[in-house]
Amino acid sequence: MTDDSERLARAGDYVLGLMDDAARTQAERDMEHDAMFREAVRRFAERMSNLDETAAPAAVPSGMWDSIRARIDTIPQEAQQTAPSAHPVAANQNRPAFWRKAAVAASLFAALGLGYLGGRATVSPPQPVVLVVLQTPQNTAGAVFEAFADNSVRIVPLENFQVPDDKIMQVWTLYDPSVGPVSLGTLPRTEVATLQGQPFPTPADGQLYEITLEPKPGSPTGKPTGPILVKGFARPTPG
Amino acid sequence: MSALDDRDQFCDGLLTRVARGDRDALGDLFNSEAGRLIAIARRILRRGELAEEAVQESFIAVWRNATRFDPARGNARAWLTTIVRNRALNMLRDGSRMDLVTEDEIADYQDRSGEAGIAYGTLGEGDALRHCLSQLEDKKRHSILLAYVVGFSHGEIAAKLDAPVGTVKAWIRRGVISLQECLS
Repeated sequence: MTDDSERLARAGDYVLGLMDDAARTQAERDMEHDAMFREAVRRFAERMSNLDETAAPAAVPSGMWDSIRARIDTIPQEAQQTAPSAHPVAANQNRPAFWRKAAVAASLFAALGLGYLGGRATVSPPQPVVLVVLQTPQNTAGAVFEAFADNSVRIVPLENFQVPDDKIMQVWTLYDPSVGPVSLGTLPRTEVATLQGQPFPTPADGQLYEITLEPKPGSPTGKPTGPILVKGFARPTPG
Repeated sequence: MSALDDRDQFCDGLLTRVARGDRDALGDLFNSEAGRLIAIARRILRRGELAEEAVQESFIAVWRNATRFDPARGNARAWLTTIVRNRALNMLRDGSRMDLVTEDEIADYQDRSGEAGIAYGTLGEGDALRHCLSQLEDKKRHSILLAYVVGFSHGEIAAKLDAPVGTVKAWIRRGVISLQECLS
């Protein structure tokens, strides 16, 4: 197997989404310094995207945008990152084509990395920084949360909460009373689930977490409006 | 300039505004692209509500990360598509999301293989990708389409095509190499 074939085979597995976590992480690391591999991925992904264009558009549920809008109203944007094109080192300034390509590839890589890694806490099994036992209004244990440094939260329900068809469970935390409760996401049904982290401060001892019942697709105000199903305070994990 | 190029430019302009903190521009981008993106996620996740969740979470990620986007460096629609596709794959591979699937829904998941052939058949006659895919042996082409379009794993492809997993891996390996050589 030549280097060229190996590169194309890996680019293929990456673009098709066939890599396991370890191989994908390694591929994304390699893309940062291996311009030829990065370019192979970019080109193959671009060509394969013609298949995406063949999908007939689906109906968009009414209210979907409002729910996104309610969430982004409380979420700050990440600060601008330094782009490779902004800092070509002197030796490369006579190679604009190289930098243009590298920049395009870096932009795509950002999309790929974001897409693959954004949906899970981290690649290796992370350790929670706090545990929360959430109590029902009847003072029984209703759910356990493990909250991680990136603010992703693994939710283990201990009771079977009944969610009417027009409602949804929404998970909140309060890290700063002056900010008020912030949404960590919604749960359509009672099941073990992991909600994605938001760029909030690292969960701290004593931080409040709760689940409320909200109208679908989520609280219309961006703050809790419905009854509290469970509520509890974070405790740091031992060790 | 084709309609698709126009739409690319339109979306690039919107995402540039989103990167400057313009929430309404994200709304315009949503109105322009959400239907297409839900359809792409639905090919992979099958259930409408999961596809919608994948798209919703993707738009929130786009809001947070929009400053990474530079219109001179790539196209906004491709960026969006990649984010949604990868999020859908993550949800598919995260077993806990599929725990509540009923028997009917399991059958429906297996049926989603049909979408792969439809997508291939819908590629334009003059499309280089279609031409190069058509040059591959049927089993290689089918394996690649099942992986890309509907998010099948090696194991699912092996079951669908009634072949050992090792054989499927070899088909895909040789297939993607030939395909990229043909496309270049």
